[in-house]
Amino acid sequence: MYAFSRRGLFYVAAGSSAAVALAACSSGAPPTGTSSGSASGSANANRQISQDAYDAVIKGGPVAGASVVSASPWATKIKSQGYVKRGGTTTGAIFSLKDPTTGRIAGFDAGIGDLLAHYITGGTDVSKLTQVAQTSVDTRETMLQNNTVDIVVATYSITVPRAQKIAFAGPYYSSGDSIQVRADNTTIKSVDDLKDKKLVTESNSTAITALQKYVPGNTPTLFADNDSCVAAVQQGRADAYILDEAILLGNAVKATDLKVVGTPFTVDPYGVGVNKDDPAVKAFVNTFLQKIFDSGDWLKLWKATVGVYVDGVPTPPAIGSVAGS
Amino acid sequence: MNQIWQMLGDNSSFLLNGVLTTVGLTILGFVGALVIGTIVAVFRVSPITPLRVLGTVYVEFFRNVPLLTLLILIVFGLPDIGLLIPLFWCGVLGLVLAGSAFICETVRSGINTISVGQSEAARALGMSFSTQLRLIILPQAFRTMVQPLVNNFIGILIGSSLAAAVGVSDITNVTQQLNIRYAEAVVLFLLSGAVYLVFALGAGGVGSWLERLVSKSRIGSAR
Amino acid sequence: MAADTATRVLFDEPGPRGRTRILISTVVAGVLVVLLVAGAVYQFYVHGQLVAYKWQFFTYSAIIQRLLVDGIGNTFLATAVAAVVAFPLGLALALGRLSKQPVLSKVSTAWIEFFRSMPMILVVYAFLLALPRFGLVLPVFWMLVVPMILVSSASTAEVFRAGIKAVDKGQWEAAQSLGMGPGLVLTQIVLPQAFRIVLPNLLTGLVSLLKDSTLGYIVSYGELMQQGKELVAYYHYMIQTYLVIALIYVVINWLLTRLASWLQVRMGTRRVAAGPIVVDLEPAQ
Repeated sequence: MYAFSRRGLFYVAAGSSAAVALAACSSGAPPTGTSSGSASGSANANRQISQDAYDAVIKGGPVAGASVVSASPWATKIKSQGYVKRGGTTTGAIFSLKDPTTGRIAGFDAGIGDLLAHYITGGTDVSKLTQVAQTSVDTRETMLQNNTVDIVVATYSITVPRAQKIAFAGPYYSSGDSIQVRADNTTIKSVDDLKDKKLVTESNSTAITALQKYVPGNTPTLFADNDSCVAAVQQGRADAYILDEAILLGNAVKATDLKVVGTPFTVDPYGVGVNKDDPAVKAFVNTFLQKIFDSGDWLKLWKATVGVYVDGVPTPPAIGSVAGS
Repeated sequence: MNQIWQMLGDNSSFLLNGVLTTVGLTILGFVGALVIGTIVAVFRVSPITPLRVLGTVYVEFFRNVPLLTLLILIVFGLPDIGLLIPLFWCGVLGLVLAGSAFICETVRSGINTISVGQSEAARALGMSFSTQLRLIILPQAFRTMVQPLVNNFIGILIGSSLAAAVGVSDITNVTQQLNIRYAEAVVLFLLSGAVYLVFALGAGGVGSWLERLVSKSRIGSAR
Repeated sequence: MAADTATRVLFDEPGPRGRTRILISTVVAGVLVVLLVAGAVYQFYVHGQLVAYKWQFFTYSAIIQRLLVDGIGNTFLATAVAAVVAFPLGLALALGRLSKQPVLSKVSTAWIEFFRSMPMILVVYAFLLALPRFGLVLPVFWMLVVPMILVSSASTAEVFRAGIKAVDKGQWEAAQSLGMGPGLVLTQIVLPQAFRIVLPNLLTGLVSLLKDSTLGYIVSYGELMQQGKELVAYYHYMIQTYLVIALIYVVINWLLTRLASWLQVRMGTRRVAAGPIVVDLEPAQ
């Protein structure tokens, strides 16, 4: 008597035919992230970053003159490579998120990387401008030092200890940690109310250090990614979620049962990480950043990404204004 | 070097809690798995078909599903249908469910080693099912099950570390958190590894001792 | 069959009253099981998790592509590469442990005992968090696969060791009395037989490796769990995504386990009870 009985084979066959049938009768077009792009104030709870608007911003960005590129060996290498290797993530809402149906990554951080790539190479196929290598808090510096990646754009906070290992261009974005709670919560209004509450945050975020400073003695539960933390608050496992304000606001859009309270209680400037050996690299990227600040492309990128979830018209930060940059 | 002692000293209670959490997860998980596993084993061999089917489906599902997936389902999936379980107990539940599937098979093999004559004699004497189970079958079956059960226990010990990935503060999670704060990776991971090593070797030792203890008399098993 | 023995051990042959009792219990148990399943489905319904759009996105061909093709493909890739390295390594370690040379034996034993007690997640964290401090950052694929290899080599070594020991001592003696040296005995006589004994266990080890590959979730390697994480990051449907993924794993692993059983029967080495392992030199037809 064989274990692979006919009955077993029948079930396998039936199961796979069902799967094929399901696949076949799909309506073909998956829900892409496209919305009609309008930014502020819209009550549409399904706001997503529009891939087309994002691509348009990238393509409209400045392109460096040939002499500028050839003057920098780093940029020349990238140009002959044809793309920029960016250390980052694919599951970061608003900053670097991969659309599972298309495989395209879009977001503010992704945009900085793509704009830099467009600046150096002049390429117009946005999907080929950068290649993303997954980095974590612990591998970022080493990957830059080993030149495994050309830049790191990953909500990378500029700190003096980090600046001793690698160089920061920028800052290119100024953020701060804020608090996310359930929409019906009335007891938590600011960081002072967090004292005895159940807190949650991402396991690799700078919010952990912020919480040690502002809410000492309270150990937050740590989860691996943003969605786990959101689920924890929604499901009642935690009272408050502390993280970068823009990401929290993005969460609140899709999850109408959450809200952000108070104002950011920390200042968190993000920078572009580059290898420290050649100071000209940092200077090159700073020149690029200043260019997109001045030309309005930074604002356009902001509007196409963060601006989908947050109201307002921010001004770009001052380059080199933060210790370590 | 001083920094390392400083770090260990400052966080000694944190580390101790981590170790206790690991121990708690493992022991509660094992005991629960033992109980549920035995029940499911009885289901699987019972003449009542729906129970046999239920037992088989249970074992096939929980033996083949990866523990990490199961834990994520319990921690994040169950609340979506109304079951919010505290994180530690989510870990225990995951270990009980997965462990019971393996222990069920161990128990079943153990029962197989008992000669039918034993239970027929017990029934001839008028023993009830539970008395028969308690006094005749399980004690004899246990003799052959010691080594496999120790392996199951070590499996649950190692499985408990996955709870760290869903936020439970066991020793693996504590080590990771301290590493983010202090960056003393080598010391911390060696410490964590030592904890698991000590427990696993200890369990192996207890198992050998138990085996020697029960091998004194081996009446009745089919060999 | 094994199941029947256990059944007879626990339960007496039913007489007419027994048969009636079994019939009644069957009906009652059947009803209870149906109620259990219905209750679970109802819970889903009451919490709005049965809504069509939350499940529909699985039918989109692009999602299926990502989940099934990319996710399962990468899972298989990681598992296969790990197995191809770990299994021979395990054999070498087993031979090392059994060897007469004290240094080799001690080192092999230490490696085996160490990695058998080590949770894979700890090894993964060590590669992800500790090694970078020494300047060693592996590509994401290897950050998952190398820990898989390390841990699996230890358990595979034990499987091989048990298999080699299970080969009847008479085989050794006969071969040596024919004048074969130990190396020849090993490769020509003992190992082939040991292989046939442990092949099903190796498949179980493969299933273990496949379950270990889920830790790609932690290092962001694109296997099935990581694909699930990316799906959830975009669509936020947690229980649906992870339930489907769990079922995919169960089906794949179940098929692999069935393959192992089939092989056991095919090669006539299926064990009865816990008695000594019977080795057939001719495959059962």
